Amino acid sequence: MNVEASWRDSHSHRFITTFKVLPRWRASTHKPKDCFLERIEIDMSSATWFEADMCAALGAILYSLGQDLNTVELTNIAPKVRDVLSRNGFLSHYGRAKIPDRWGSTISYQRFDDRDDHFFARYIESQFIHRSEMPEMSSGLLKKFRESIFEIFSNAVWHSRTQLGIFSCGQLFPTKGLLNFTVADLGVGMRQNVQDYAGFDLAAEDAIVWATEENNTTRRGPIPGGLGLKLLREFIDLNGGCLQIVSDAGFWQTTNEGVSTARLGHPFPGTVVYIGIDTADLNSYSLTTELDANEIF
Amino acid sequence: MKREMKISVYEVVGSPLCVASGDGQKVHNRLAAVIGAGHRAILSFHNVSTLTSAFLNAAIGQLYGPFSEEKIRCLLKVEEIAPEDAALLKRVVETAKLYFKDPQRFEQVVRETLEDEQDGA
Repeated sequence: MNVEASWRDSHSHRFITTFKVLPRWRASTHKPKDCFLERIEIDMSSATWFEADMCAALGAILYSLGQDLNTVELTNIAPKVRDVLSRNGFLSHYGRAKIPDRWGSTISYQRFDDRDDHFFARYIESQFIHRSEMPEMSSGLLKKFRESIFEIFSNAVWHSRTQLGIFSCGQLFPTKGLLNFTVADLGVGMRQNVQDYAGFDLAAEDAIVWATEENNTTRRGPIPGGLGLKLLREFIDLNGGCLQIVSDAGFWQTTNEGVSTARLGHPFPGTVVYIGIDTADLNSYSLTTELDANEIF
Repeated sequence: MKREMKISVYEVVGSPLCVASGDGQKVHNRLAAVIGAGHRAILSFHNVSTLTSAFLNAAIGQLYGPFSEEKIRCLLKVEEIAPEDAALLKRVVETAKLYFKDPQRFEQVVRETLEDEQDGA
């Protein structure tokens, strides 16, 4: 089987152009009769650029193909793309050697099981805290960023109901003052969750809108929820960065230009959350007035 | 006679990173046991560097299922918590109060708690 991968660089629509291809790719390959014990060759010749953090989404799809006992091989990778995918360790999952990250700008590609909270925490510490290449960020910004990443991971664990794990990858752009990080899962997606637990049959992009609004939650059971995505959104709005969510066929993003949504031509089989932050942000994330501890409850 | 029990979040979790719901559950189990027995709990956040809403929902938010707001206000205190973390906890608490105002959820939680107690008896 030979599937052509034909995404291309488009800065302003990076997510949409990438995901227009990936789900179609997945849809065209994920047929049990065609895709069991197969050798699947991904011809990358049309890919002239690949956003490194998007390895999380690509890796999720390729992992699910591997679960069906298929052998995945990436071929005809352009040197620039191969360099990106080798430095962050992605290609070492597909038989290639990892090359040293000379500029120290990669946040390595990793897969976690849904119970790997502690491994994920250690990964974040080693990738973001204990390394000299990190751009200088205010301690308040760094704290908010770490919390945001953990919120994304917790969200994936709680809501995806996935058995295939959670995939993450990132990239630093020191000169641009930008830090990208993406978390992907192959779970049921937001549209299905909103339908199952809130009883609303919404379009995929409207389900994301619903889930990102205050006090809306698909949580059931003794542990409340419904705050993680709102906290993320507030942080990004203050930071001036970008938060994008793809779930099923829905696309949602918030930037300093506001919220926008779109319908993708082909659904992604799960959820992907991308966070891009301005590392030069000098906003204070400290509170000017302290909350009286007696007023909390 | 009411006793005052101090619980260190850092000691229970074993790390300054309090991000996992499972770790929040461990804190919750201790808090629920102390408050359920009618004693006062003092929850210390000394040495905690990172908190998430998922952790706080599991540790504290779910207390609003089996216990009344008055009981929690009377028997639970927090100390050595950073101002930003206190603000996050306040939002978690407000969200939890709203969550359990839904009578279906409340009944479900009471039912599950009773079932757990019967299973454990």
